[in-house]
Amino acid sequence: MSSRLEAEHLHKVFGRRPQQAVERLREGADREELRADGTTAAVIDASFTVEPGEIFVVMGLSGSGKSTLLRMLNGLLEPTAGRVLFDGQDLTALADRDLREVRANKISMVFQHFALFPHRSVLDNAAYGLAVQGVPRREREERAAEALRLCGLAGWEKSWPDELSGGMQQRVGLARALATDADLLLMDESFSALDPLIRRDMQDQLLTLQQTLKKTIVFITHDLNEAMRLGDRIAVMRDGRIVQTGTAQDILLRPANDYVASFIQDVDRSRVLTASAVMDTVVRGDEADCGCETATPDTPFTALCALSARLTHPVAVLDGKRELVGVVPGQRLVGFLGDERGGATACDSPRDGGKKVTARA
Amino acid sequence: MPRLHLGDRVDSGVDWLVTHMSWLFDAIKTVVEGMYDGLDAVLTAPEPLLLAGILAVLAWWLRGLVAGVLAFAGFALIDSLALWDEAMSTLSLVLVATVIALVVSLPLGIWAARSKAVGATLRPVLDLLQTMPSMVLLIPAILFFGMGVPAGVVATLIFALAPGVRMTELGIRQVDAELVEAAEAFGTTPRDTLLRVQLPLALPTIMAGVNQVIMLGLSMVVIAGMVGTGGLGGAVNEAIGQLDIGLGFEAGLAIVVLAIYLDRMTGALGTRISPLGRRAAAKARGTVWTYRPRPAVAVVGVVVLALVAGGTNVFGPSSGTAEASASDIGKGKEVKIGYIPWDEGIASTYLWKELLEERGFDVTTTQYAAGPLYTGVATGQIDFQTDAWLPTTHDEYWKKYGDELDDLGSWYGPTSLELAVPSYVKDVGSLADLKSHAAEFDGKITGIEPSAGMMGLLKDKVLGEYGLDGAYTVVDGSTPAMLAELKRAYAAKKPIVVTLWSPHWAYSDYDLKKLDDPEGAWGNGDGVHTVARKGFAADNPEIGKWLKDFRMTEAQLTGLEARIQKAGKGKEQQAVRSWLKENPALVEKWVPVADSGQ
Repeated sequence: MSSRLEAEHLHKVFGRRPQQAVERLREGADREELRADGTTAAVIDASFTVEPGEIFVVMGLSGSGKSTLLRMLNGLLEPTAGRVLFDGQDLTALADRDLREVRANKISMVFQHFALFPHRSVLDNAAYGLAVQGVPRREREERAAEALRLCGLAGWEKSWPDELSGGMQQRVGLARALATDADLLLMDESFSALDPLIRRDMQDQLLTLQQTLKKTIVFITHDLNEAMRLGDRIAVMRDGRIVQTGTAQDILLRPANDYVASFIQDVDRSRVLTASAVMDTVVRGDEADCGCETATPDTPFTALCALSARLTHPVAVLDGKRELVGVVPGQRLVGFLGDERGGATACDSPRDGGKKVTARA
Repeated sequence: MPRLHLGDRVDSGVDWLVTHMSWLFDAIKTVVEGMYDGLDAVLTAPEPLLLAGILAVLAWWLRGLVAGVLAFAGFALIDSLALWDEAMSTLSLVLVATVIALVVSLPLGIWAARSKAVGATLRPVLDLLQTMPSMVLLIPAILFFGMGVPAGVVATLIFALAPGVRMTELGIRQVDAELVEAAEAFGTTPRDTLLRVQLPLALPTIMAGVNQVIMLGLSMVVIAGMVGTGGLGGAVNEAIGQLDIGLGFEAGLAIVVLAIYLDRMTGALGTRISPLGRRAAAKARGTVWTYRPRPAVAVVGVVVLALVAGGTNVFGPSSGTAEASASDIGKGKEVKIGYIPWDEGIASTYLWKELLEERGFDVTTTQYAAGPLYTGVATGQIDFQTDAWLPTTHDEYWKKYGDELDDLGSWYGPTSLELAVPSYVKDVGSLADLKSHAAEFDGKITGIEPSAGMMGLLKDKVLGEYGLDGAYTVVDGSTPAMLAELKRAYAAKKPIVVTLWSPHWAYSDYDLKKLDDPEGAWGNGDGVHTVARKGFAADNPEIGKWLKDFRMTEAQLTGLEARIQKAGKGKEQQAVRSWLKENPALVEKWVPVADSGQ
């Protein structure tokens, strides 16, 4: 299956003579040198692919260039160099009119501060994208109401954005994005402005919706826990560059460099790790034979701990065919928990992997 | 420093524009005049109180019952001050200027908001328009558009343009960038982004700009009144020109009523048409006091009142048909007289208004400052004026415009110009005495308008002749200011030297000494001439002949002036009428109906 979205060597430079700056970056100049000249390299050589139905999280601190990167994906910002391929179509080569067409029909966006139109009712806000597409009023109101219902806002259609709480406003933002039936959803720190509890709710809701809708989502966040919770794959950005791309477990277990390692210190591992990540694959053979409870590779870390506490021997991990694929000794679980603040300890050769990536960065 | 002759360039530029671009100015003039006439006709058509009712219903709809009642009271007040026509003409002028200013400034503001370069270019231009003293703009406006409404509208709208542009730009720039980005992210075209997102959200700020435009327009009205736009501005100018504080206050009050009404209405309209404001209003609704008729009800109310208004206009008493008689020579022909608010000017102008109306002409009189008056007559906008002091005082004007004017002769003279002191100032009887008394007078001669002919004469010749150049400074001002200063000093018995001329009522009100002029520096006395536009006498042979034969004695002039002074402002013509009744022979003498061969 071809990937839905592909970013190829994207660069974005603000300031004078951006093309020249890109040349210098390619020749190995770094960001600080350019800044001295008054140009800002916001995104440097970013490449990644996003598969259909995947949630791809771009994570980085503020100023890392993640929002700029996102805006190049739908052409709100024109890349200084590089290409964006969407379903094989090069967005950077499109004329303004065609690009608008793509944005109206195929890509929608959810914003950090909701960006609801204060002069439109909730229903009209949700129907905005459809109005741009030129869908007749009746149909777009039906579809917008349906999108609102999906987001848990049935009955609020006649309200105004400023009458809603932050969480509800962002649900409207989400409904607005979903109503257009766009394949690609760009979410720019969409939950960052919300209270922690509401944020969790919204994350759950997004995951629930995603199970049925199977959208392709690019999600920007500065919150690693959020990235780990939502992301099928995560790209970590620093100073305009993507320093590591991988699944949550990849990043947690095999941080590409010290920066990523320091980043993941505070992550609640028990929420991210599953049995497959912590098990020993060198199987002795008898753990599965005792008729005790067993785990699957997807069993979350917390459930694994509960299991382990009830057993006197390591937990057996069985795959879908009930074949033993690994075991988790109780000692291992304690080790991972105790290691919360200990930085990355490795399963397999983290240093080599780290060095490689560091060298590339 | 080398003298940069910027002024000469501007002069020649203006001249070039006048000669080469007159088609453009004529076109603008036609459009502006058409809009103004149309609007004025609509506003003055219904009975005043009916229109006040219509305006009150609008206020009720926009702001509530209290505002409606107050609006009605305010307009009724204007009507009871007998300033209704003036107020409506001012309202028309302001509205026309506002509409044109908005038509120009909204697109400019939008453009400036979307392009930094345009914004940066526009800013200094706007600064220039807004801060350039308005009189400086007014004079070229007269040259381009002539006296009257178009010049006033153009000067007003230029002055009022800047806030419209600025507030539009500001309003659009203020719209949350994330909202604009959201619109773009959903594929909205730039045009729709502007219309659906930016403009609706910028609307409150833009309406604040509209409000500013109107307010600045109103504040400009008085100044525009100097170029003969009439209306309340004209009334204010007339009043201050004649030191009539009462009338000035009344006219000023009428302007205030208009200003408050327009201010509150545009403010309320802002909330009405902006979706956000509408919501806030909907929330606040409740009691009788805040109840507002629904738009449909308001429209019905306005339409009904307007129909009634139209009905009274159609079926009401039409203006009496002119009585045909042997003395009806004019047959309703229009004659425009301009005058300077000097007493002999007022007296003779209203005398001629009465005389000509008696003979069936339709006479309008308008007050101007001396400069615009000469410009007006020279360009043919005014038919004649009766207050030209020639050959000395108005020499400058005659030099400039004499070729385009017909002198119909002097009807009064000789006059004299002089410096005068109150008689309680001892030891000063002649101009020669002034030099040694400079300290006593604080080295000041209280003058009148710097544009007045006698001021030039005083500064250039009289002072030098008596060696007063270093000892005295001439304080420029205005005739009313000079008279007020004289009154103040006179009441306090303080020494004062003022510029004065004879005949003047001040000599009968105060005990003043004319300073002798042994050197004859003031020159021989002027005659008060009637000056008409080129060809006026040929177009109107009767009037031409009457004016040429017109003479007044000092007794007649001072008698008439005193009568007008006593009757008070606004009753000049009645005073003339009653004075003529007491001197019945004069009508036949001044405007004889020829037996044949007219």
